[in-house]
This record gives sequence, C-alpha cells and structure tokens, in this order.
Amino acid sequence: MAERARAELTSEDKARFQTEALPLLDSLYAGALRMTRNPADAEDLVQETMLRAYRSFDRFEPGTNLKAWLFRIMTNAYINTYRKKQREPQKVSQDEVEEFDLYQELKNHDPQFSSTPESIVLDQLVDTDIIEAIEDLPDQFRLAVILSDVEGFSYAEMAEIMDVPMGTVMSRLHRGRKALQKRLWELARDRGIVRGAPKS
Amino acid sequence: MKEECRQTLEQAYMLLDGEQVADLDRRSIQEHLEACAPCYERYGLEREVKGIIARLQGCTTCPDKLRERIAYLLEFDR
Repeated sequence: MAERARAELTSEDKARFQTEALPLLDSLYAGALRMTRNPADAEDLVQETMLRAYRSFDRFEPGTNLKAWLFRIMTNAYINTYRKKQREPQKVSQDEVEEFDLYQELKNHDPQFSSTPESIVLDQLVDTDIIEAIEDLPDQFRLAVILSDVEGFSYAEMAEIMDVPMGTVMSRLHRGRKALQKRLWELARDRGIVRGAPKS
Repeated sequence: MKEECRQTLEQAYMLLDGEQVADLDRRSIQEHLEACAPCYERYGLEREVKGIIARLQGCTTCPDKLRERIAYLLEFDR
C-alpha cells in the first residue's frame, strides 16, 4: 500500500491527540494483550497502532468515538501482522461449540439447578481462569467477546472495528460467549469446582 | 428449541447488550421469560457469562515504559 502524502498535523491536532488518545492506552494495551496473548507482541501492536493513528489523525472526525477508531486501527494491524504469528493452538474448535449447551450441562450436573447467584459454579473461578479461558478461544470469538463485554462497544461500533456486517457481530458474540461457557465449565471441572473427570 | 424461544432469546440478548429494542418487544420478551423457565435460565446464564468477562474491565494497565516510549515517539514524529 503506497504511503499517502501525510497531511501536516497542526499543533492543536497534536496536542488534542496527546490529551485524548494517551488516556486510552490502558484499554488499548488490555485489548492488545488479549488479542496477541503475548506481552511483547502486545507492546509492539499498541506502539504501531498509536503511530498509525497519530499520523492519520487528520482523518479522525472530531466528536466521533476515538476509542472505537483506535481499536479499528489496532484490529487491522493485528489481523495483518500478528495473527499470522499464532503461537499456540487454540483449545476450543468452532464446531465443538455448536453442540455445547451449558444450561443442559448444569441441569445434568444438578437436576435442582436454577441460575440463582449462589448456585452458579462459574462465579467461583478467579480472574486468571477467566483470562485463560478467553485466550483459548478462536480469534474471531475472542475479539467479539472482549470488544463487547470488556470494552463495551455497541454492535454498530464492533461492525466498524471488525469490518463485518452487524449480523456477523451478533453471531460471533453469541457463539463466542457459548464457547467461553464451555471452556469455563471445563476449567471449573479441572479445578474441582464441579465433579467429573478432569480433561487430560 | 421452539422458534418462539429462539426469537425471544435473540432479542433478549440484544437487550442485554444495550441495543435498541422497541417497547412492545421489550414487554413480550419479559412476558415470555416469565412464562418459560428454560428461556429464563438461558438468559440468566448469558447475563452471568457477560458479567464474568466484564470482571476484566480495568484490570490491565499499560506498562509505564511503553507509555513513555510512545509519548517520546509522538513528540519527535514529524
């Protein structure tokens, strides 16, 4: 892709970028870490994103969602550069997800099951378990779930960020949560929170 | 799963995600969930999983060194 002639940023633009974009670094880094699953790659991804964003800031429309705009740039960079460097196989296949039904699993486990707060086994998992489960998800599911449930983007914003139709966003989000339920359930079993032979 | 259940849940999930749902639909969703135990439970589970993922909000901060490096690069970028 040819470098387009870079428009000069005014000093106001530069200052505005510093005051508005830099506070979003925590979110960006968190997102990058979940995407790349590797702190070194996450740092590179964030750095690359911020430079690209800064250089094309004249194209950002003031008043629109800056965080969404930055995540769009970051997701593109992730797909183009880092996704090829997948380091570990993912533990949940997209097909397995379709069959899994947490509601039925919990009912099988405990016929008296009702999802009242006290009886939810998943709530006993700690943050590192949750992170592990999210990182085991296939890319597209992982991205949908973090954009929606960690970063709070709307379906429309997610469609922009992921560059897919809204229907696809909803599908990936729902299937991603299902996949996560399955993985959390397996972790709960491995941790002994629910009975059942741990997965070898 | 019954078609009515499938459709209700799809709308209920949209509501859960803060998406626009017409008042009329909102009411019929609520009515269905009150009458249909499996749908009520499934909706509860979806909400539960969403809440679990949301626990990660704000738990990661950008490393100081990275923050400094970026500030430096932006400062000296043409």
